[in-house]
Amino acid sequence: MIPKYYEFTCPVKILSGRKALANLPYELTQLGASRPLVITDKGIVSAGLLDPVKAAFADSDLDIAAVFDDTPVDSSNHVVNQVAGLYRENDCDAIVAVGGGSVIDTAKGVNIVISENTDDLLKYQGVDRIQAVMQPFIAIPTTAGTGSEVTSAAVIANVDAGVKMALVSTKLYPHVAILDLEMTRTLPPKMTAATGMDALTHAIEAYTCLQKNPVSDAFAAGAIRLIREYLVTAVDDGANAEARLAMANASLLAGIAFSNSMVGMVHALSHACGGVAHVPHGIANSILLPFGMDWNIEKVPELLADVAGLLGVDVSGLSRRQQALAAGEAVRRFTSQLNRICGLPLSLKDAGVMESQLPNIAKVAINDGALTYNPEEVDYEDALAVLKKAY
Amino acid sequence: MKEIFEQFFRRARAFSTEHGVSTGAKVALSRVSLLALAATFELTGKYTQEMKEEIADWEDGRRVGIGVLPQGPYITVEKHADGFRILGAGLRDPHISILFKNLDSAILIFTGMLGAPMAVAENRVCVQGNNYHAMQVTRAMAIVQTYLFPGIILKNTFKRPPRLSAGQLAIKAKIMGLLTPKLLAALNK
Repeated sequence: MIPKYYEFTCPVKILSGRKALANLPYELTQLGASRPLVITDKGIVSAGLLDPVKAAFADSDLDIAAVFDDTPVDSSNHVVNQVAGLYRENDCDAIVAVGGGSVIDTAKGVNIVISENTDDLLKYQGVDRIQAVMQPFIAIPTTAGTGSEVTSAAVIANVDAGVKMALVSTKLYPHVAILDLEMTRTLPPKMTAATGMDALTHAIEAYTCLQKNPVSDAFAAGAIRLIREYLVTAVDDGANAEARLAMANASLLAGIAFSNSMVGMVHALSHACGGVAHVPHGIANSILLPFGMDWNIEKVPELLADVAGLLGVDVSGLSRRQQALAAGEAVRRFTSQLNRICGLPLSLKDAGVMESQLPNIAKVAINDGALTYNPEEVDYEDALAVLKKAY
Repeated sequence: MKEIFEQFFRRARAFSTEHGVSTGAKVALSRVSLLALAATFELTGKYTQEMKEEIADWEDGRRVGIGVLPQGPYITVEKHADGFRILGAGLRDPHISILFKNLDSAILIFTGMLGAPMAVAENRVCVQGNNYHAMQVTRAMAIVQTYLFPGIILKNTFKRPPRLSAGQLAIKAKIMGLLTPKLLAALNK
């Protein structure tokens, strides 16, 4: 079905494959930059993942002007302003983010502060509030799940105002995303599984939510196929280069899809599980995904039936409704398999949530913007009912 | 019956967006619609239990601006201890802004041809401000629409159309009766 109206954006140049990082100096030059600030975190440095980035500059006439390697798991306006200060002190002219979602979101925040010449991110909360021409920005993801390297959004805590700021603008897209084989190879099995399930959730929600469109569908479907084929291998055999690169691409495809069609109730509940009970985002998505699919089945049975096919379910002889139901079951089988390999939790209880926290999680979830895009209505009682099932 | 209404909506949409309704008429319709929305914010805040419960946690002084880019019209309402009050036309330093990208998009929503979730999904609206508060405003707006629009429009625009009890229907009738003088009063602000 063609939507009555839709919009699609993805201006990101994508480099993927072995030695892709070697092109980093060239891409910076193409963007008119020569003094990049590298933003990363301690975990990346200790895993040795900054070394190939530095090595990429060895054969060029460009130098890294400064490195910020202290990005916390949940970035804040203070961190963003600190990094922006470093950018200005060192006369930097580009941003290179090396890391997961928090690092890339921090880099997006720094780009706003520098480009808008401000120190107050709060006034850029919401949609399309950035007007400036942005600084050259290259993202190098080290996880295969968030898709932040191809999304137009950033979430950054404002510790002064006590809020998590959602900043959304097409100006936030990186100019280039580099998927290098070396960058995700050291990811531990459980984190590979959780981030991979995050990507699967992005893809399935993108395929079934209200903002879906033919272009985002193509990306979502491509992501689901890759995840079905390669996630278990990437978790089971982290050294498998093909599986690692396939998962990095799956994450990117899912990122492009959901940046243009958004996500729904699974993400709303998952964000709340993270905020209230500190459940890692990928794990919460993994647990909640089949329950969200079941919840939406009356509104989008045809779409979920499509998902069953994409997940490799043998749908011969099944009615479309049976196929839709089979999609959720296929996800459950998938997560059970991952559970056996690496211990990925299968219930909110296993993930450390206390039953007494469920009402608060539901209360937080119904104020998450992702619910707007969910095909089926979800009020407080609905959210609580789904959480109890997933508990 | 449903087909007749769908045909009506299709024709109305085509008429309003494709066959040259003047800008002046669109602005006038938007202005009246915004006044109706704002007045219904006040009335539902005063008379309906669901709105009272929805805004119980809102801080007094929270301002919500609604309008049409780039030149308006706009209107701002403010939450206070007893509900809402209309601050008047224009964006008056709102904490949350719900801004339609153009007049045609605004009219689709104001006339009930497009629901709020689909308007957001079709990128016809810019929401500015705290995301958490924006969702609270969205729910409050749904309550306003429940008491402002007839059931047939709610069926077309809500994911789960509200079912009103006899008591709620009586309140809806009361609100509709009070809306006209409210609108006239607001027009004079």
